[in-house]
Amino acid sequence: MPKIHRKRVGFKLDMTPMVDVGFLLLTFFMLTTQFKPSEDLQITLPSSHSVFKIPGADVITLSIGKEGQIMLGVDSELLREALFGQAAKLKGGVLVQTSELANLLIQARTRNPRLKTVIKADKDVDYGVIEDVMNILQKVNITRFNLVTELDKN
Amino acid sequence: MAEVDVKESRGKQKHSKKKRRRVGVRIDMTPMVDIAFLLLTFFMLTTTMNKPQAMEINLPPGDSKVDVPASNLLTLRVSENGTIYWNLGTEKPEKVTPAELRKVLKEKNSANPKLITLIKVDRKGKYIMMVNIMDELNVSDITRFSLAPFDDKDKQLIEKI
Repeated sequence: MPKIHRKRVGFKLDMTPMVDVGFLLLTFFMLTTQFKPSEDLQITLPSSHSVFKIPGADVITLSIGKEGQIMLGVDSELLREALFGQAAKLKGGVLVQTSELANLLIQARTRNPRLKTVIKADKDVDYGVIEDVMNILQKVNITRFNLVTELDKN
Repeated sequence: MAEVDVKESRGKQKHSKKKRRRVGVRIDMTPMVDIAFLLLTFFMLTTTMNKPQAMEINLPPGDSKVDVPASNLLTLRVSENGTIYWNLGTEKPEKVTPAELRKVLKEKNSANPKLITLIKVDRKGKYIMMVNIMDELNVSDITRFSLAPFDDKDKQLIEKI
């Protein structure tokens, strides 16, 4: 008896492996992604060839905007609350005056001595502002800090 | 009308209509997979792989002073408009383009390994100039450099050129 060949109309493709890989990637991206904290200062970073990684935790970030505004940010919520009060708890950083900066830095460092300082300045800011900030840092004995830059591709 | 499935023993009913017994439940997974891929694309597009890099700076403690003979000093001055001048010791400053800077630095440093580079940037100059110069120094493996304030004397010196 001849076998009856059923004609296939369309075909079924087993999508399971693709979906598996899809989910794997999804979990990977979900776990590795970090959302940029909303920044109130628009900063264009300068580029350099430096490949030093910025520290991940216990950081004081001094963001310096184009016009020379200085924003002090601390990554821990508790410390932020202690320094700037309840209102700033959820904010990324607080605008500070140059005159208050030394005091705030000392306060922050007494609360958490492991804090590392990072300067994140706009590339077009006047050097004078940076010089002032560096002088303050030197005065409060923070002699080691990082300048955030973007990796130059060339 | 509701049908009542009368179960009959299998052996007897071999040739009757075959009723396929459902083993397990089949759920249509398509919507879930759709959403998953949607999220996947979202995370793939929003994620930023390159973390910003950083440069490390070590400042000397505030009260330390080191005397350096002038002959071991290479001064780089950056004016307000971003022009770079270099001079050795007390020589006359010379203009240098950012592209040529690396060559000058390398040349001078190989000629005198004890050379210390002093960077002076005008307060009205741009921050990027300082980063660029420090980057050049890092690229050329020059670790002995320091930052100094740019004062009126420097300004006058540059203006003469």
